[in-house]
Amino acid sequence: MNRSVRLINYTRLLIITLLLTTTKSWAQDTLRSGKVITNAQMIGIGAVNILDTYISPEIYRGSELRYVSHSTRGNGSKLSRELIHHAQLTFAKNRVRNNQEVGGYYNFQYNWIYELGKWNLGKGELNLKTGGGVDVLTGFLYNTRNSNNPAQGYARLNIAPDIIAAYSFRLWRRSIQVRYELQTPLLGVMFSPNYEQSYYEIFSRGNYDHNIVFTTPFSAPSLRQMATIDFTLHHTTLRVGFLGDYQQTKVNGLRQHVWSNLFLLGIVRKFSINKILP
Amino acid sequence: MSASSKTIRHFVFTFLSAIILTSSITSCVTTDEYDDNSKGNFEALWRIMDEHYCFFTQKGIDWNEVHERYSRQFDATMTDAQAFEVMTKMLSEVKDGHVNLYTSFNIGRYWAWYEDFPKNYSDSLERKYLKTDYRIASGMDYTIFDDNVGYILCKSFLNNTGAGNLDNILLYMQPCRGLIIDVRNNGGGNVNNAEELAARFTNEELLVGYIQHKTGTGHDDFSSLQPQHLKPGKGIRWQKPVIILTNRSVYSAANEFVKYMKCCPKAKIVGDKTGGGAGLPFSSELPNGWSIRFSACPMYDKNKQMTEFGIDPDYKVDISSSDFSRGRDTIIEFARQLLH
Repeated sequence: MNRSVRLINYTRLLIITLLLTTTKSWAQDTLRSGKVITNAQMIGIGAVNILDTYISPEIYRGSELRYVSHSTRGNGSKLSRELIHHAQLTFAKNRVRNNQEVGGYYNFQYNWIYELGKWNLGKGELNLKTGGGVDVLTGFLYNTRNSNNPAQGYARLNIAPDIIAAYSFRLWRRSIQVRYELQTPLLGVMFSPNYEQSYYEIFSRGNYDHNIVFTTPFSAPSLRQMATIDFTLHHTTLRVGFLGDYQQTKVNGLRQHVWSNLFLLGIVRKFSINKILP
Repeated sequence: MSASSKTIRHFVFTFLSAIILTSSITSCVTTDEYDDNSKGNFEALWRIMDEHYCFFTQKGIDWNEVHERYSRQFDATMTDAQAFEVMTKMLSEVKDGHVNLYTSFNIGRYWAWYEDFPKNYSDSLERKYLKTDYRIASGMDYTIFDDNVGYILCKSFLNNTGAGNLDNILLYMQPCRGLIIDVRNNGGGNVNNAEELAARFTNEELLVGYIQHKTGTGHDDFSSLQPQHLKPGKGIRWQKPVIILTNRSVYSAANEFVKYMKCCPKAKIVGDKTGGGAGLPFSSELPNGWSIRFSACPMYDKNKQMTEFGIDPDYKVDISSSDFSRGRDTIIEFARQLLH
C-alpha cells in the first residue's frame, strides 16, 4: 500500500516537475522582438482625369476605384520600413462622352523611413519622419475605338523621397491620429514608345528606339499625397482620408497624365511580432 | 530657444522648401484642348494631321497652304453635315485610303485608288471557279482545280492565320503542280497574319522591306529605316511555284503580303497594280468625338521605294470583257497557264 502511494506521489511529482520545466522552457524561448507592424487596408473612390497623347489628344474624365495597402514595419528604433501597394481601375470618357478609356495600374513602394523626432505640441504629440525608396508602377490604358494605337502600356521605376507628419492626440476620450504623407519621384526609368512608334514595331519586329527613358522631376513631375485621420470605434481603428495621386510624364514627344483625387476609407491594424523558438 | 524647437523649425523650413521646389519644377503636364465648335474641330483635325501624318514630304503636300484654303470655309453657322463634307474634302488632299473621318452618320474616305480603275474581279466568276465543294480554313476558301492547280482565295487578313490551319491547307494542296493565292479585293487586316502566310513560301530569311516611324511633330521627323525580315515559317512550307493574283483593291496588310511575296523566289505576281496603303494607320479624335484615322508609320520595299501608291505585278493582266461574258476569269486563266 505504502509502495503504491509512494509511486503515485512520485508520478505526481514527475508530472508537476515536467509541467513546470516545460512552462519555464516556453517562457525562455519566446523572444519579444519589438517589431510592430501597422497595416492599413483602404478602398479609394473618386475622380480621375487622364491624358495620353499616344492614344488621343483629348482629356478623358471619369471615376476610379483603388485598393491601397499601407504597412509600416518598425522595430523600436528610429528606422522603419514602408510597404505600399496600390491597385487601381479607371473608367473615363471623352468630352462628348462617346468613347471610353479603361485603365488598370499597379504600384508598389518600398520605403526606408527615418524618424526625425517627436515633440509635444499642444495636447498631442507631433512625429516627423522622412525617407525614401523605390516606387514601381505598371499598367495599361485601353481606348475602345482606336486602330493600331488602341492601348498604351506603362512600366516605371523611380527613386522617390518621402515625408511624413503625424499628430496624435486624444479627443472625447478617444485616440486620434492625423497623418500626412507626401512622395514625389526624383529619378527613374520608364518605358515609352518613341512618339508614333507602333507596338507592332517594338514587339513584333523588335525595333528599339529610345524606349527606355530616364526621368527627372522635369520630365516626370509627379506627386502622391495622402492625408488621413485614424480613430477607434469599438476596438476597431478606422482610417478616413484623401489621396491625391498626380502621375505625369512628358517623354519621347508624348504627354501623359493620370490625376486621381480619391476619398479613402479603411481599417488600421497593429501587430506585434514575437518569435517562438522550437 | 530649445534644441527640439530648433529641429522642428529646421524641418518645417526644409519641408516647405521641398514643397516650393517641387511645385516650381512640377508643372502640369496637360494639353490645350480646342473648342468643340466647327472652327475648333477643324483646327484640331488640321493639327492632328500636321503633327502625325507621315507622307506629306513624299507626296509633296503643302499642308499650311491647305489650312489657308480650308480654314476660310469654317464658321459658326455650319451644320455637322457641312463641316463633315468640308473636312473630308480637306483630308482627300493627301490621297490616302488610310485616312478616314468616322462620324455616327457617315465615314469620310478617299477611295479613288481603286474606284478610278477596273475592278478586275467578279463575284459571279468567283462562284464559278470555287463551285460549292470548296474548303474553308482561317478565313480562306480553297480548292483544287481540274488541272491540278491549287487555289486559295484570301479576302482578308483580319482573321488570325493559325499555323495548324496553314499546315492543313498546304498538306491538302501537296499533289498540286502549283498554287494560286488570290488576294484580289483583300483590303488588309493584321500585318502579322500576312507575314504568317508569306513565311510559308521561303526557306531562308529574306529582306523584304523597311519600316520607320515619326519621332516628332515635324513633317520630316523620322526614325532611321529599320529592315523587315521574313523568316521561314514553322510547319509545312510550299516548294513549288506560287502565283499571287492582285487588283487595285489590294490594300494595306494585303499590299504588304504582295511586297513580301515579291521577294520569294518561286512567286510571281499576276493581275493589276495593287492599291497601296503603306502607312500603318493610327487613330485620334476631334473635340466633337469624331474619330480620325491616318497613316503614321511608313513602310517601304526592299529597295527602299515607297509602296504607298501600289506594287506593280510581274504580269499585268486585266479581265477581258469577252472572257467575262464566257464566264472565264482572265487573270486566273493566265496564272494557270503559267503553272503548266
